[in-house]
Amino acid sequence: MPETPALDVRGLTVRYGDVTAVHDLTLAVPRGETVALLGANGAGKSSVVNAALGLFRPAAGTVRLLGREPTAALQAGGVGAMLQHGGLPSEARVGEVLALVRRRYQDPWPLADLAATAGIGGVLDRSVDALSGGQRQRVLLALALAGAPPLLLLDEPTSAMDVEGRQAFWATMRDLAGRGHTVVFATHHLDEADAVADRVVVVAGGRVVADGSAAAIKSRIAGRTVRFRCPGPRDGLSGLPGVTSTGGEGDWVELATSDAEATLRALLAGHDALPDLEVRGASLEQAFLHLTSTADGALR
Amino acid sequence: MTDLFLFQLRRVGRNKQYLFFTVLLPALFTIFFTQVIGGQAPAGEFQDLAGAVLVSMMAYGAIGAALGATIRMAFDRSSGWLRQLRVTPVPAGSVFAVDVLVGALLVLPSLVVVALVGRFVNGVEFGLGTWVALVGSLWAGSVVFVALGVAVGLALDAQAAGAAIGILGTVLAALGGLWFPVEMFPDGMVPLAHALPSYWFAELGRDVAAGTFTGAPVLVLAGYGAVFAAAALVVARRRPLHAVAG
Repeated sequence: MPETPALDVRGLTVRYGDVTAVHDLTLAVPRGETVALLGANGAGKSSVVNAALGLFRPAAGTVRLLGREPTAALQAGGVGAMLQHGGLPSEARVGEVLALVRRRYQDPWPLADLAATAGIGGVLDRSVDALSGGQRQRVLLALALAGAPPLLLLDEPTSAMDVEGRQAFWATMRDLAGRGHTVVFATHHLDEADAVADRVVVVAGGRVVADGSAAAIKSRIAGRTVRFRCPGPRDGLSGLPGVTSTGGEGDWVELATSDAEATLRALLAGHDALPDLEVRGASLEQAFLHLTSTADGALR
Repeated sequence: MTDLFLFQLRRVGRNKQYLFFTVLLPALFTIFFTQVIGGQAPAGEFQDLAGAVLVSMMAYGAIGAALGATIRMAFDRSSGWLRQLRVTPVPAGSVFAVDVLVGALLVLPSLVVVALVGRFVNGVEFGLGTWVALVGSLWAGSVVFVALGVAVGLALDAQAAGAAIGILGTVLAALGGLWFPVEMFPDGMVPLAHALPSYWFAELGRDVAAGTFTGAPVLVLAGYGAVFAAAALVVARRRPLHAVAG
């Protein structure tokens, strides 16, 4: 019999009033896997994480964490989470907050090691109100790790961290993953997903638009945009080699391409002048749009 | 739950503003009103006046303490702390229960300090039984304002909640006749005072102090308590504690 997945989301639909943030999303994460939910802002990543944690009731679908209902799994101490809108209590010391949460776990992470891992050893006696943004984020990490839980759900965990903080954070995550913990994190940084995750699930418009190894996803969304002014007719641009979509406003033409060199050669051969020509890396938003419009998702 | 209770108690205890408005200010008012206004009273009336001020200030302090401690829920929601707790094994219901309990408990120091000031600074003389009954009845009655504070704290976000603590406390005290007795009000404002729970809360204290217990204040307060508790339940259902602010 196969082991219960660490995270099992089936047919999840989340609505806020008339807006549907997540459409019939299904995602299973086996134990021990490190998965990035990659998507632009507003793609629905946070809604997936929050619904998975039972913070609101989804319009449809089921969520199981380690085989249990979200609230039961959290109460049992099997899950640690960092929220995008999580916070710390005013007028409390860091050590007190940590103690309050640690003692709820049967087998909490030893305090000294936990503080060192989260990088908050020096601020345990400090008031929460006196912490910097990065320090607050590390305290929130310590709370997520307090029970050394088998499953970690992290929503944009490094958003308030500086470069060093990020590196230390991901080193910790890789270490945890190496010890068999399941780590699921939402991010809008392709490089973070690439550096840490075994598997990248791309979310756009509340749907999974791609799901595969980091390398496979990267090759698919690492496209280029070719941009230039073109007051005249634009016939045939979409048929140029490598071009996956065309757009632009006013005089501007924007071509998304999977092979910038081939596209440029063909363009230059066919045009005497290409005023204000630019070639740029496609933004993640463009890459996601491209994936949404062309792919049915499954890469594996 | 004990650890959460002590944790919350410690947090409120560190809030100097809260301690000032709920313990120190009512105590100072007790001395001020009695000595300034009572200084002009004929000697025979001083005891009555000191007793009346004492009861009003106990009521004032208790209302401030109950509202101040419970409306703080709004701060913990806006900061995201309640959401954070929700994703730990700390049971969500116990957080709510502890906040209510802390609110109810913190009324007591306010009542006791004002009573001590009344007794030893202003020389108010009640029998021991009356003192105990006075503190006990006002403590029990303060549950009405704990319920009001919970309803308001659940309904508002941090900024509005901070303002509401001060405004509600002031309005209930001033218009309910806690700062100046209703006998000094212009005729048009008396019905307004009689419509406020703060008036009946002080009336409960006056009855107990005078030993002329009637059921009216208890009935009115019970009615208000039921309305506020129902309001709190309705708001709690609409805006769960862990919901994102806004």
